[in-house]
Amino acid sequence: MLDTEPATATASAKTAVRQGVTTRRRRGRRLPFSQLLVHAVLAVCLVLTLLPLVWMVLSSFKTQGDILSDPTAWLPAHFTFGNYAQWFGPLNIGQYFTNTLVVAAVTVAGNLVFCSMAGYALAKMEFRGRGLVFTLVLITLMIPGVVTFIPMFVTVSKLGLLNTYASLFLPFLATPLGVFLMRQFIGSIPDSLLDAARLDGAGEARIFTKIIVPLCKAPLATLAILTFLSSWNNFLWPLVAAQGQNTYTLPVALSLFSVGQSATNYALLLAGATLVILPVVAVFIALQRYFTQSLVGTGIK
Amino acid sequence: MTTVTSAPAGARITRAGRGRPRRHRPRLAPWVFVTPFLVIFAVFTLVPLLSSFAMSFTDFRATDVQNPLGAHFVGIQQYQAVFSNPQFLRSMLNTGYFVLVGIPLTIVVALALAVALNNGIKRFRTVYRVGFYIPVVTSIVAVSTGWKFILQPNGPLNAALHVLGIQGPDWLSSTTWAMPAIIVMAVWRNAGTLMIIFLAGLQAVPHELQEAAMMDGAGSWRRFWNITLPILRPTILLGSVLLSVGFLQFFEEAFVMTNGGPLNSTLSITYFTYNQFGFGQYGLASAASYILFAAIALVSVIQFRTLRSRD
Amino acid sequence: MFEKKRVAVAAGAIVVALTMAGCASGGSGSDPSQTAVSSGKASGTIKVWAQGAEAEKLGELAKSFEKENPQAKVEITAIPWGAAHQKYQTAIAGGSTPDLAQMGTTWMSDFAAGFEKVPAGLDTSGMFDGAKSAATVGGTAVGVPWYVDTRVVYYRKDLAAKAGYETPPTTWSGFQEMAKAMQTKAGATHGILLPTGAVQDDFQGLLPFAWSNGAELTNSSGSKWTFDTPAMVSALQYINSFFTDGIASKDPNTATGGTEADFVSGKVPMFIGGPWETGSLVTAGGAAFKDKIGVMMIPKQKSSTSFVGGADLTVFKNGANRDGAWKFVQYLIRPDVQIQFYKLIGDLPSQKAAWNEGDLKSDPLLQTFKAQLENAKTPPATTSWTQVSAAADQELEKMVRGGESPQQAAKALQSAADGVGLSK
Repeated sequence: MLDTEPATATASAKTAVRQGVTTRRRRGRRLPFSQLLVHAVLAVCLVLTLLPLVWMVLSSFKTQGDILSDPTAWLPAHFTFGNYAQWFGPLNIGQYFTNTLVVAAVTVAGNLVFCSMAGYALAKMEFRGRGLVFTLVLITLMIPGVVTFIPMFVTVSKLGLLNTYASLFLPFLATPLGVFLMRQFIGSIPDSLLDAARLDGAGEARIFTKIIVPLCKAPLATLAILTFLSSWNNFLWPLVAAQGQNTYTLPVALSLFSVGQSATNYALLLAGATLVILPVVAVFIALQRYFTQSLVGTGIK
Repeated sequence: MTTVTSAPAGARITRAGRGRPRRHRPRLAPWVFVTPFLVIFAVFTLVPLLSSFAMSFTDFRATDVQNPLGAHFVGIQQYQAVFSNPQFLRSMLNTGYFVLVGIPLTIVVALALAVALNNGIKRFRTVYRVGFYIPVVTSIVAVSTGWKFILQPNGPLNAALHVLGIQGPDWLSSTTWAMPAIIVMAVWRNAGTLMIIFLAGLQAVPHELQEAAMMDGAGSWRRFWNITLPILRPTILLGSVLLSVGFLQFFEEAFVMTNGGPLNSTLSITYFTYNQFGFGQYGLASAASYILFAAIALVSVIQFRTLRSRD
Repeated sequence: MFEKKRVAVAAGAIVVALTMAGCASGGSGSDPSQTAVSSGKASGTIKVWAQGAEAEKLGELAKSFEKENPQAKVEITAIPWGAAHQKYQTAIAGGSTPDLAQMGTTWMSDFAAGFEKVPAGLDTSGMFDGAKSAATVGGTAVGVPWYVDTRVVYYRKDLAAKAGYETPPTTWSGFQEMAKAMQTKAGATHGILLPTGAVQDDFQGLLPFAWSNGAELTNSSGSKWTFDTPAMVSALQYINSFFTDGIASKDPNTATGGTEADFVSGKVPMFIGGPWETGSLVTAGGAAFKDKIGVMMIPKQKSSTSFVGGADLTVFKNGANRDGAWKFVQYLIRPDVQIQFYKLIGDLPSQKAAWNEGDLKSDPLLQTFKAQLENAKTPPATTSWTQVSAAADQELEKMVRGGESPQQAAKALQSAADGVGLSK
């Protein structure tokens, strides 16, 4: 339905380029000036993009009194680490951090394995029911999440999984988003690569592990980040599935200690929110270099 | 009954020493790969789906929880009720507005960022990648306070506009300007995700092709249009579908920033549904959810048709 | 209490599976409820769910309870206010409820079917009437008031004096004059901050004016909504006049801490709020600011009637240790324990007897709250109230910002409420 083989696209692109060439020759190499220009534009965009976050981080060093008395100020009137001290001290953020990390790690691992497997099957193997499975994947993707919430909870409850770590990640171990993503990317790997391997007698498992996976570093990194993020920020499910405080995750803890019945401790909330972002940013920084890995080799052996 | 993608049977030589008679069950492999996902899907998604779909044809309310079989089958009454609800109709309009403006905007922004980061510059890429992705990562409750501050009538945004000689409105209290403000916030929050998806897809564009085109004198725009875009098609389709699934369900920005107002101008379908669940009108809310699902499916089909490869 | 939904609620809403919920809740505790709390000490584990800061402090009270009842162990799980409603809803649907819970007063009718009736032997005679009625659904008491709050008018004493009012007026007309005077003589931008219907529960916040004018939300038998009445219309007219005369802003500052900041700076020196605002204002304005804070009862027309909220203690029918739970309830409503709780957290006691000591007796601000608590009501305990309240917010917004007349608003609200109906 939607695959584009790079080989064919490349060919057509080449002809298009040849036909579109004008007589006026441009310099073949980019001059630093155009790069500077792009840098300038990007830098401005970046500053604007980060403004709300700058406000958030600066405000995390304010006292609640500062925030309530002058909400429009940028800089803290009374700079304090008190909010952070509270999170690391009496509020024991470490425990919630561990919970969230374990759940996120398992969810990411599960998705990386199961979604790439399913994506590979859907993209490169022909079997009866392939269309049906893919349609199911797409449909699940499109169902508004609100609608399946309690039934999911009741299922987990009847499986006796409440208040275990398992209940926190099991429903999300292989998401339709992941399958869709992997299917799209794997679809652009040339069939010829795989056919050659099969001719050599390699089994599907070997093809998968030795050819597909190494070529999928970029999409796998993308999937890892997206999955990590959604697991990390998941609030409602961990709240509802946990039967005791010791299995709470970070977003639940954040809401628990900052949001009161009628008033919110904004200073505490902002500090907590800043802390919660840091691991995701770290994971992102670690994985984002894979975006520069080439998906397809230069030639087809 | 069976067709296998690999080379014709006769050509297969099992010389890798595996010795396993794979020919006997050539079609097991695909199912092995797909089954883990299917199991999780069936248990945790399919059954809830079916039961909630069934509920949309009943008059189920919150008070029926203890005695579910006390609810009555009412056919398509809930769907009719939803469509004759003026708030719902307004929410459909709002959601359409949001999607029609928000999706192209986000795609263009994300694509521009991805191409700029990939091709336009060589240094500091990490900084930009991280920087543009951070909005995606933050908790909406936390950033909403920052955004409300920026959008205040005498806040930084209007101050900046003032410098340009424009009198900025009271964004979040204006029935005309609240939705554009929400859209901008949504683009801000989501462009990063699309950016990394596009970045991943851009890796499939071979360097030597670009260089060959450069040698031939093709300008950057022409290179982009004729080389990059076609190869990027499946990725754009992926991004567009994911974005529309998300945007059709937009809820958080309006919930935090404007409470669906002023005067319902930012009420989305999901927000309407959320309210109905809050009222205990489970049957009605389920019906609204499945109407939304139909819309999502329709939009996705359209996107698949228009963005599919022409090859 | 006003229910505040936080956006961290990603999925936000819930659906119950027909057959699944049936399987889950079938066969669960339908034991006959107790008619009296059994004598003797409590024993066994008592599972308690509580929200936010109350959960934290409850732990200390629980320790003393355990000393008095060595065989009992209280296990407290704290849940965030931000999604507590969903948490309880799923727990009831999935059959995994605790023994005892701290229930927001506005949620009582939502979950009443899951609560056990209050045993006849449990003495609540010394509690505020309004609070008790909030815990009564369908004529049956299904919860015991734990702590209460109400709404009064916060005003700047110093600015009121500057405007010529040493003591605040108590009549409707006098009240409006004072608000206006604060603008003309004391430099305020607006005299008072009033809800406009843009935020959930805004209309509920204005009910005190309706009630003080003698308007009732339902007829005496509770079978019909009564919004389109002269009393309601004139209450709406009074409220609207604040907006049309420029005394209240149609676009109030709803930013974080905006209300408190404007009060402290004097821009908007009056607003309607609950007892926690004292603490917020002191945080915003500093300890010295407390002298400038004044509270007065809702201005009187036919009466001065305000809104009562807070939280009730509820025992679940499906709880494993209901007897222990009721014993813990009995402990928590003892006046001395209530005083202790107030000292720990500042929540106002539901037992009138607890108000005879310390701050609760001497602080003039708190004494005003107590007086108001004697004249406070709640909206009808029906599951349709949330929906009607939302419709009311809409009409209020249309009136304030959309130019709808109070008569039109009342009529529109009546037909909307009739459409929703009054279910028990």
